[in-house]
Amino acid sequence: MATICDRAQIIMEWMQDWQLPPAVVDRLHRQARADRWAVSVASFTAALERSARKAFATQPDPRELERHLTSLHLEDLALACACANGHEAAWEHFVREHRPVLYKAADAIDPTGGSRELADSLYGELFGLVERKGERRSLFEYFHGRSSLSTWLRAVLAQRHVDRVRSTRRFEPLPAEDAVNVAQPPERQPRAAGYVQLMQRTVTAAVARLAPKDRLRLGFYYSQDLTLAQIGRALGEHEATVSRNLARARREIRADVERQLRDDAHMNPSQIDECFAAVVEDVGPLDIADLLGTGGPRKGSEEKRSKERAEGASA
Amino acid sequence: MPERNRDESVEHVLRRVLSQEVRESPQGACLDGETLAAWTEGSLRADEAAVVERHVADCGRCRSLMAAFIQTTPPAPAVESVWHRWRLGWVVPLATAATAAALWIALPGNNAMPVSVPSIQEVNTAPVGQTSRDAAPPAAPSTSPESFTRSSAPQERVAVNAGNELRKRANQSAARLEELSDERAAADAALLQRVEADKRESAPSAASPSPARADAATAGAATAGAAPRPLTSARQANLPLEIVAPGGAARWRITNGQRVEWSTAGATDWSPATITSSDTLTGGSASSASVCWVVGQRGAVYVTTDGTRFVRLPFPEMADLVSVIAIDDRSAMVSAADGRSWRTADQGLTWSMR
Repeated sequence: MATICDRAQIIMEWMQDWQLPPAVVDRLHRQARADRWAVSVASFTAALERSARKAFATQPDPRELERHLTSLHLEDLALACACANGHEAAWEHFVREHRPVLYKAADAIDPTGGSRELADSLYGELFGLVERKGERRSLFEYFHGRSSLSTWLRAVLAQRHVDRVRSTRRFEPLPAEDAVNVAQPPERQPRAAGYVQLMQRTVTAAVARLAPKDRLRLGFYYSQDLTLAQIGRALGEHEATVSRNLARARREIRADVERQLRDDAHMNPSQIDECFAAVVEDVGPLDIADLLGTGGPRKGSEEKRSKERAEGASA
Repeated sequence: MPERNRDESVEHVLRRVLSQEVRESPQGACLDGETLAAWTEGSLRADEAAVVERHVADCGRCRSLMAAFIQTTPPAPAVESVWHRWRLGWVVPLATAATAAALWIALPGNNAMPVSVPSIQEVNTAPVGQTSRDAAPPAAPSTSPESFTRSSAPQERVAVNAGNELRKRANQSAARLEELSDERAAADAALLQRVEADKRESAPSAASPSPARADAATAGAATAGAAPRPLTSARQANLPLEIVAPGGAARWRITNGQRVEWSTAGATDWSPATITSSDTLTGGSASSASVCWVVGQRGAVYVTTDGTRFVRLPFPEMADLVSVIAIDDRSAMVSAADGRSWRTADQGLTWSMR
C-alpha cells in the first residue's frame, strides 16, 4: 500500500512540477505554424504536455524531453488543437484533407460499406459531440502527435472496427452440437487423435520459444491470413525478407518438434513419421465462418497467398 | 516421411494452433490507436517498441487490430530505379562519350589519359536545383574548335570531328530535354549539366570554375578518402538519392523526397525504412552500415543507428537543410541552402554554427 501511495505521490509531484521550457515551446509553436489556426501558445503548450505525459512514465531528462517534443508531428498537432478548440477553418481543412482518407480506410476494412458508419461516428467524436461534465470533449484531445494525423485516424478506425467485431462475436450463438459432431471423422482412430494432440502441444511449445517478431510474423500469416506484402508493410521489411524469415521460423519449429518427439516423448523415427502424417490426415474442427462464407478477408487473400507461396518455392 | 511433407504438417498445425490462440488474449494493456500508429511509423522509442512487439505477438485482439489497420494502409508505390528508366538509358553512354571527347579535345597530346566516367554515386551527388527549363544551355568549350583545325595531326582532326559530332548530339539531346515537361526531365538536365561541368573542368582554359562547381569540389574534398560522401540538394524529389555506407555494406535511398529505403544486398533488395517526415528530404550521409543521417527542409534532421528506424532530432532553426556529412552516430555536420552550417557531437542535443 505504501508503495502505491509513494508512486501516486511521485506522479502528482511530477505533474505539478511539469513545465516545458518556454523557448522550446515558442520554437515548436512556430515550427507547427500554429498561428494559421489561431492556436495560442498556452493551448499548444497544454497539448505538448499531454503528449509528454503519455510518452514518459516518469519525469524525463530535459534533453530527452526536447528530443521527444521535436520528433512530434507538430503541424498535425496544431491542427488537432485547433479542431478541438472549434476553429472553423481548421475543421474545414481537416475535413477536406482527411475525410477522404478516413472513408478510403473504412472501405478497405469492410468493402461492403459497413465501416462507413464507424467513420461517421468517429467524425462525431472528433467534432466533440460527446459531452463530459458539461464540457465538449473532442477525440482530438487523444491525438498526441507521435504519428501523423492520417495514420492515427486509420488506427483509431481499425480499433473501433475490431472492438465492434469482437463485441458482436460475444453475442453470437455457439455452433450447434450437430455441427461440432460433423467435425469429428467417425473413423478417426484414438491413436491418431493422440498424435494430433501431441503435435499441437509440441508446436505450441516450439512457437512459444521463438522470438516475439517471429511469433508476430507467424500470427499475421497463419492466423490473420495477411499477405507477405502486407506483413512487410507492417514490420518495415521487404516481402522477400518476410518470406525468408517465415521459412526459417518454420524450419526451427519443425526441428524443435522433432527434438521434442524424439527426446521428450521417446518416439522412434517411424512413430515420429506417424505423428506428422496424422496431422495432415486430420481434418480438424470445421470452421463455421468458412462454411457460411463469412470468413472475411481470409478467403479473399488465400488465392493470393497460394500464389506467393508458389513464387517463394520457385525462387 | 519426406521433409517437405513434414513442413506441410507443421503448417497445418500452425494454422490451427495460432487461430486458437487468437481467442485467448494475454494479460496486459492492449494497444490504443496512438501507440499502434506510432509503432507502425517507427516513432516509438526502442524500449516502447519492444514492449509493443512482445504484446502483439501473443495478443489475438491486437493482432486483429494490426491486421485491420494494415488493410487500410495503401500499398507503397513501386519505385523504379532511375538507371532503369528508358529515358536515361541513353544518357549514360552519352555522358561517357562526351566526357571522353572533351578530354580528347582538351589534351590532344595525351592520348593515354584515363577517362573519368561519372559513376552512379557521382551523378547522384550532382546539383539538381535547376529544372530543364531554367537549366543553363550547354556551355561551349572554352578552347574553340577552330584552334584545333589548324593542327596538322590527322588523329587530332578525327578527334575534333568526333567531338563536334558528340556536341551536336548533346545539343540535340538538350533540345529533346526541353520538350520533356515532366519531372524526370529535371534529372536528365542535371546529368547533362554535370557532363558539361566535367567538360569545362577538363578544358585547360577553364581557369575559373563556376560557383556550383566550386561547391561540388569543396564537398568532394571534404569527403575524400574513407569519409562518407554527402548528397547535395535534390529538390526534384523524383530522382532517388542514394546513400552508400563506407565499404558499400549498406545503402539507403530517398525516393519522392519523403520515403527512405535501405538495402544490405547490394542495391537489389530494398526494404522501406521507418521515417515519417512531412518535410521534403534533400540529402543524407552514412558513417557505417547501420548509421545514416538524413536532412530536409524546415530543419529536418533524422538519424538511424540500426539502419531502419530513423528518429527526428531537435534542430534550432527552420532552415532548409541540403546536405549532411555523417561522422558517427553522434556527430555530423549539416549545411543549409543559404550556406550556413552546423555541427553536433551529441546526436542533435546541441548544435554549434560554423
